[in-house]
Amino acid sequence: MEQQYETEFIFKYWLKFKNIFTDGIIIGVINSTLALAATIIGPVKSFLPNFILAHSMGITVSLAILFSLLIVRPRTWKLFVLIAGIDICLGLFIGLQIGFMILRIFFNIDLDWHTEKVGIQAMIAGIFASSALLYFLISKIRLRYRNEMIEQEKIKRLAVEKESISANLRMLQAQIEPHFLFNTLSNILSLIDSQPDKGKSMLLDLTKYLRTSLSRTLPEKTTLSQEISMIKAYLDIQKIRMDERLKYRIDVPDNLWQHSFPPMLLQPLVENAVKHGLEPKVDGGEIVIRASRENDLLKIEVADTGLGFSDFDKPNVGIANVRERLSLLFGERGRLMIEENKPQGVRTTIEVPINDV
Amino acid sequence: MTYKAVIADDEKELRTYLKKMLAEIWPQLEICGEAVNGREALKMIVDFEPHIAFLDIKMPGLSGLDVARKIAGVCRIVFITAFDQFAVEAFEREAVDYLVKPVTKERLQQTISRLKNKLQSSPEPPEELAVIITQVLSGLQAKTHTDQHLQWIKTQHKSSIRLISVDEVDYFQAGDKYTSVVTADGEALIKKSIKELSRELDPRKFWQIHRGTIVNVSRIENVGRSLTGRGTLKLKKRSDSLTVSRQYLHLFKQM
Repeated sequence: MEQQYETEFIFKYWLKFKNIFTDGIIIGVINSTLALAATIIGPVKSFLPNFILAHSMGITVSLAILFSLLIVRPRTWKLFVLIAGIDICLGLFIGLQIGFMILRIFFNIDLDWHTEKVGIQAMIAGIFASSALLYFLISKIRLRYRNEMIEQEKIKRLAVEKESISANLRMLQAQIEPHFLFNTLSNILSLIDSQPDKGKSMLLDLTKYLRTSLSRTLPEKTTLSQEISMIKAYLDIQKIRMDERLKYRIDVPDNLWQHSFPPMLLQPLVENAVKHGLEPKVDGGEIVIRASRENDLLKIEVADTGLGFSDFDKPNVGIANVRERLSLLFGERGRLMIEENKPQGVRTTIEVPINDV
Repeated sequence: MTYKAVIADDEKELRTYLKKMLAEIWPQLEICGEAVNGREALKMIVDFEPHIAFLDIKMPGLSGLDVARKIAGVCRIVFITAFDQFAVEAFEREAVDYLVKPVTKERLQQTISRLKNKLQSSPEPPEELAVIITQVLSGLQAKTHTDQHLQWIKTQHKSSIRLISVDEVDYFQAGDKYTSVVTADGEALIKKSIKELSRELDPRKFWQIHRGTIVNVSRIENVGRSLTGRGTLKLKKRSDSLTVSRQYLHLFKQM
């Protein structure tokens, strides 16, 4: 975005018909009032000449300020004030002469600069009135400008926040639990001697898991089957570690396997189910991953029969991340629900619109 | 004399591996029990009275650290861990025996010869050991102990119970009989009163702003003052505003 100057904002503001119209009315009303005041306390005790003079001065000054701003386009307040000052003095003087001319030609009223010191008095009154009026209008516009800037700042900040969130997400995606990693490596080390084939397949699963978790250039879209195969690799590793304590079942209808699905949404939920549900439970349990289609929603459910949450268990960062990512990708149409599983454990459900998936 | 040991690890493969390596390095050592979780380990140690217990830290039921606290004076302890930064630091500082996974032969050999020396000089575990371990453990506990604030709101949703993380909640509002939990997704009713909630929620994250309202601080957009001296609170991403009663206005003095 190009930089915008406060001073520039002012004439840009006046370039809009609606704005210049309202401000013109304000100037007109003020000038009429001044003319009335001049009739009462000034040297010319008749309203008409005062009215004509006030308006011819006012209009000339306004036009002078408007055009000079458009031509010079000052970028500093110093320059702005200088131009306005010159405009006011010259504009008032010229406007006054024009006013005299109008009175003489159209109304047969003969007034000039020297008649009862009208000229000097009108100039002094005009300088005060124009300066005050200009100051008032500019303050009004500046306030508007400030508010607009604040709005823009807010939007900018939001955009930056969004950006940093997605950057964080990418980082978190690549974060691998050291506990998991070292335990798996220990298992492989042990299996190499006792059951080399099993060791080999565990190593392959670990490779698959690591490759997906670590890849920095994560594709924005993958298919459900890709996601599930990664999850299977993870669960197979955990199955060797936990042995009989972990059972799992994946239930995805044939027509949904090739459906696209964002990466790393399901994974944290499955890891959660293992880490917080089954691993700490003495008898272990089962994880069921189920996909289904409901109208235009793709629903994926991860249910475990683990320990479940107590009221005071800290929510996992994984869950907050998934939620954040869902809202980033799908707005309000992406949902994550956490429920108690019956008779035991936790069931998390992801819902995403199917058209956008 | 032959020494007896108990191995405790929830992963079968890792128990087997350790047993095999121990058999190579210290064939005289008798493995009198293999426990698959903390509770079993405790029982075996009490029943068999081994000289040494190899305890994995992360086990279901009771953790290795919990077991150690209970048996510190009964036998010598070697902790096993895959990755526990704080624990390893503490063990290192207090010269507590520990192994990291994957366990290497060299490291195990070192540990074993140290153990042998200690066992020969004093067959019974010295009293200080119990003290040291208890100290280390309470230090660790303090580090990992998180304060007990309400984290999950359980709401009835049709036939199931839905869990809402408190971080999701925008505000709580008292109703006639129930309290409504307002989130971006909508509203849910719970039986817990505002009074109970204000006691259980983390006061750094949730402020009571009215007799019947508790708000999530991170959701506050701004606070304006009304003519009557009460405050009006605007929330981020929401159109509704909340009233801050005079009594709670001091919370916003700095904002």
